Amino acid sequence: MITFPRSRFPRRRFLAGAGIAAIGVSFGRKAWSEEEKKLNVYNWDTYIGETTLQTFTDKTGIAVQYDLYANNEELFAKLKAGNPGYDVIFPSDYMVESMISLDMLEAVDHSKIPNLVNVNPAKQFSDPSFNPGLKFGVPYMWGTVGIGYRKSKVPEPDSWGLLLDSDKYAGRIALLADARMVMGLALKYLGYSMNSKSEDEVNKARDLLIKQKPNIKAFAPDNGQDLLLSGEVDLVMEWNGDIISVMSEDEDIAYIVPKEGTNVWMDNICIPVGAPHPENAHAFLNHILDKEVNAEIARTIHYATADKAAQALIPAEDLSNPAIYPPEEVIAASESLTDVGDFTPVYDKAWTEVQAA
Amino acid sequence: MEDWRKNKRVFGILFLPPTFWLVFFFTFPLAIIWVYSFGHRGPLGQMEVTLSFEGYVQAMDWTILYIIVKSIWIAAIATAICLLLGFPLAMGIAFAPARYKNVLLLLVILPFWTNLLIRTYAWIAVLRTNGYVNGFLGWVYGLLDGFFGFLGAPDALGGFEPLQLLYNRRAVIVGIVYVNLPFLVLPLYATLEKLDKSFLEASLDLGAGQWRTLFSVTVPLAWPGIVTGLLLTFILALGSYLTPDLLGGPDSIMIANLIQQQFGPARNWPLGSALSFILMYVTFLCLWLKAMAAQREGGVSY
Amino acid sequence: MTTATLRAPATPRRRSRSTIAPLEFTRKRWLQAIIAFNFVFLYFPIVALIAFSFNDSKRNITWQGFTFKYYDKAFHNPALHDAALNTLIIAVVSTVVSTILGAMIGLALQRFKFPMKGLYDGLIYLPIVIPEICLAIAMLAFFNAIHMDLGLASVIISHIAFSFPFVAVIVRSRMSGFDMSLEEASRDLGANDWQTFWNVTFPYMVPGVVAGSLLAMTLSLDDFVITFFTSGPGSTTFPVKIYSMVRFSVTPEVNAASSVLIALTLTLTIGAMLIQSRSTKKMNANG
Repeated sequence: MITFPRSRFPRRRFLAGAGIAAIGVSFGRKAWSEEEKKLNVYNWDTYIGETTLQTFTDKTGIAVQYDLYANNEELFAKLKAGNPGYDVIFPSDYMVESMISLDMLEAVDHSKIPNLVNVNPAKQFSDPSFNPGLKFGVPYMWGTVGIGYRKSKVPEPDSWGLLLDSDKYAGRIALLADARMVMGLALKYLGYSMNSKSEDEVNKARDLLIKQKPNIKAFAPDNGQDLLLSGEVDLVMEWNGDIISVMSEDEDIAYIVPKEGTNVWMDNICIPVGAPHPENAHAFLNHILDKEVNAEIARTIHYATADKAAQALIPAEDLSNPAIYPPEEVIAASESLTDVGDFTPVYDKAWTEVQAA
Repeated sequence: MEDWRKNKRVFGILFLPPTFWLVFFFTFPLAIIWVYSFGHRGPLGQMEVTLSFEGYVQAMDWTILYIIVKSIWIAAIATAICLLLGFPLAMGIAFAPARYKNVLLLLVILPFWTNLLIRTYAWIAVLRTNGYVNGFLGWVYGLLDGFFGFLGAPDALGGFEPLQLLYNRRAVIVGIVYVNLPFLVLPLYATLEKLDKSFLEASLDLGAGQWRTLFSVTVPLAWPGIVTGLLLTFILALGSYLTPDLLGGPDSIMIANLIQQQFGPARNWPLGSALSFILMYVTFLCLWLKAMAAQREGGVSY
Repeated sequence: MTTATLRAPATPRRRSRSTIAPLEFTRKRWLQAIIAFNFVFLYFPIVALIAFSFNDSKRNITWQGFTFKYYDKAFHNPALHDAALNTLIIAVVSTVVSTILGAMIGLALQRFKFPMKGLYDGLIYLPIVIPEICLAIAMLAFFNAIHMDLGLASVIISHIAFSFPFVAVIVRSRMSGFDMSLEEASRDLGANDWQTFWNVTFPYMVPGVVAGSLLAMTLSLDDFVITFFTSGPGSTTFPVKIYSMVRFSVTPEVNAASSVLIALTLTLTIGAMLIQSRSTKKMNANG
């Protein structure tokens, strides 16, 4: 008969006990009174500098946990169900508006962010309509959405119609997987406002997209530039910085804003309600507004920064690049997204129908 | 088997903790989803618990129904292809010399032990525009082009258009077949292995050819096992999430992806919950069919 | 009808290369071709993935040269480190608890009858057959409803919920071959309940428990869908991290990370098989 040494059982008990202790520790995190040296950041992909997080940790000793999301709706969905523990988020203009109206953002204590003086004093940065007085967050980067394309395969495109209304490049087109952006640009192409509250107009935009769907290869969740780079598609609707980043890897790629105009967006750094480490969050916001740090970020991700002091440290070629800092005419022809409040379900429904068709 | 009352203490110790987990961390969450499926979606995606059939009503909307039907169709085709590929494979292994059987089985199971995500991801590199398939075709094309050029007609074949194999329904079906093939081969093998070979030998001796034997004797005998394998593969294929997500395009969104969207960017929990239950009911239906087939297998008698 | 009357007359068949006996399908060329095709189909993508993890090219489209640098990059990626650590913690804890719970209920089901056992049987099979997405969103809704933060704990709880029924099934089927009279004999010889369990029942259970626990560990290490929905900041697991890397591009670094995960899971599973076969041999040898 096989007998087993007695010591086996106590060992299993120990493992089980250690396991329960581990669970207990992760449950008990919130019970600690003093803020521990951690920070949970939730951001878009390829949207931070190469050294930003490391220099923050070096300066303050706070370890950063960095998670990614692909669009504002995903961010909203994650937080609406109850903040799962994020301290810092990067919502866009209309999403900030939406979150403020739903009491999802903490008011930011300006006294803890001395670098706030670096922010560009122009009204759209220092006192935007969606975040008056910068009460609920600080501005981060801003830019446009345009067409990234492969020069050897596509002569310079000049209209959204090539992506939204034409089968000339069937199967070689990718759009964003961002409901408001795609619906909004379809609306703009049809001559309506990107923030239309007319169900009729939204439905027309939806029908246009459904008609175009067989020609679209993919709805890319923030990775359209990679599809362009790897040759999967020749035309993508993408954020300017993403395309400019891959332009340095492949000279055959270019970026253009179509003649109908486009969306001008501004992203912000905010602290959601329920953040477990608000003190650390404020320190992080301050860190990002530091002109050296901010310049490094802008140089890496190729977006236009709202930090005026940092602009002095950005290479002249970036500052004069119309793709990064669009000229006045482009901005005049463009529109920013705003929160449509109760009308949102109409957009959501139309988008679901586009996806399902 | 003793009655629980005879040894209440031991029964209690063994029975209660797992049951607690099962009830509290499994049945209760499912019940919550069931309640949510009757909920109401507020204008900004908030979840309000009321009594409303809007989730189910939306699920019956043609746009959504279309996706459900499409998913069933994709799963069915993938299962059929698995059968076409897997049946000969299972036959081959079942009738292989004994010393090869275990090795062959192991070789079939081994990929199954690799992570699903990685197996699906591996296909991206194979199917994409600059992937291995197109690379190979391009190379063959180059050879043929050179050959024609040598014969004096350099542009006979025109330009090389890479096949669009990724981000569409084809890719999803390939991916689902790839991931679920072992699930069909193993039950098929088990059934074929158990077959009384003398029936087949008899059929052959009586003059029936190989194919006739296959369809008149082997398949009917192995039928319950075949059905079991098919239903199992179908259930798994229908619930696919990663494969359509990574390999699919705008035309190949499946039920699981739609459900995920409702709990993510689309913020429509009632619809997501309703869809989730619809998927579960379809699964249960298939399982019930499977149980019926299994009963028939047990009941075969001559 | 009995098989005796159906058995063919025993004509000796000459086993020459050209004569293939009717049931030796495997020796037919075309079947061999199909089998070969199947294996190429099954293995090519994985082999290609591992091969291209050594490719010295960021875009990983054409072969540019052999290098270990992407393994180096993956090993020095702090996010991957965290993910790997999380994966291990989750796997270990959930395996231990699943094994205990699964063994308990497996034993109870095999041994006792109780009212509504049929219904309970169906219930315990439910986590095995339910589509993963349904369970994933159910757990998400659950943690949301009880206002519990998503983190390591939520993932561990979910993993345990779906893996202990697997252990239960394996243990139960193992125990169905157990001869209860051995227990009676042990009691007759004067051992009490605990000693009987420990010295008679448990040793028999062990191969089933080990097989079940290794299955639970593999399920936990590989899980994606359920973890994806129930993890929060700081509790990303290795498969979830690879997923977010995969979403963005096909690079040798992703291949390297994937190859590491493949190697890990294969080692565990092959180890499981070896342990199981060796312990079964020992069992049979000792009688």
